[in-house]
Amino acid sequence: MIARKDYKVPGGKLIRVELEVEAGVVRRAAVRGDFFAHPEEAFERAEAGLVALRVEELPSAALRFFGQRGLAIFGAKPEDIAFTLEEAVREAQAD
Amino acid sequence: MKLRLIDSSGERGISGALNMGIDEAILGSVSRLEAEPTLRFYTWSPPCITVGYFQSLEDEVDLEVCRRSGVDAVRRLTGGGAVFHDAELTYSIILPLGHELAPDDILESYRRICSGLVAGLCHLGVTASFESINDIAVGGKKISGNAQTRRVSCLLQHGTILLDSDPEKMFSLLKVPAEKLKGKLIEDVKSRVTSLAFLLGRKVSAAEASAAIRQGCCEAWGAELAEGELSPAESAAASSLAAERFSSPAWNARR
Repeated sequence: MIARKDYKVPGGKLIRVELEVEAGVVRRAAVRGDFFAHPEEAFERAEAGLVALRVEELPSAALRFFGQRGLAIFGAKPEDIAFTLEEAVREAQAD
Repeated sequence: MKLRLIDSSGERGISGALNMGIDEAILGSVSRLEAEPTLRFYTWSPPCITVGYFQSLEDEVDLEVCRRSGVDAVRRLTGGGAVFHDAELTYSIILPLGHELAPDDILESYRRICSGLVAGLCHLGVTASFESINDIAVGGKKISGNAQTRRVSCLLQHGTILLDSDPEKMFSLLKVPAEKLKGKLIEDVKSRVTSLAFLLGRKVSAAEASAAIRQGCCEAWGAELAEGELSPAESAAASSLAAERFSSPAWNARR
């Protein structure tokens, strides 16, 4: 299943999530948007870390990965990313 | 503070891929201490849409309409959103980290760099202010967007000063969630974005704007600008980055 969700952070930027999920496991994960993250590669490592997780693990993993020390995100908080991932899965499962 | 100035605002514009290649080439040479910290002014020909580092070019931009309209489309090294570069002056600044304009605090460095633009706009008769995170606004309407990345121990920030704006054209090139929203989005942009032409009621050339901004940067930063040009090595690096990175699907379609 493909799970997608766009979430405009109030007062912040737009987060656009796309997940490919197979048997409850994330096969591919993209967290896109018009936010800023420094360093960019640390953000991409956090994003890559979502792959192979079970969908139930996504919100807590996102909080950990995107909230790691040394990664600064402007325009979105780890909580916003976690929420968008959770909503993407919830909506896709409801379809 | 001494900066190398590369001002091509009075010349014909540069393609999107080459503009991004030049910025990255300067980043490399400043990082290797082969070049002084550099302030560059430029324009775009043909017009170009750039998207932020974390955006999908395919999701944000109608590439077919761009091709038909002769508009380039490139993904940037910097975060932020989609920008239509047409009637605008663009600048980039490349500084080693720790420079007075490049403190550890990222938001503070936006504020310091943008102070030069705000002072420059004042010379054009426009009272602007910095709006966190990364905008400059006049009476609450955005006139300048700015985007920064930090790599290889340097800061690269580039940004725009809108000379004029054409939201209808911009939205013809962007993908919008639903066609029926397009009118509302255009109205939103009109209410949130302004330009020198709108504020001053006359056309301002990129060269006129860059002269004012240069003066503002000298005053606000206490900077001395030494006119220079790209070294042959920077030109060569810029061309190969333009061809191999910023024109390639591997880069543009990576996200």
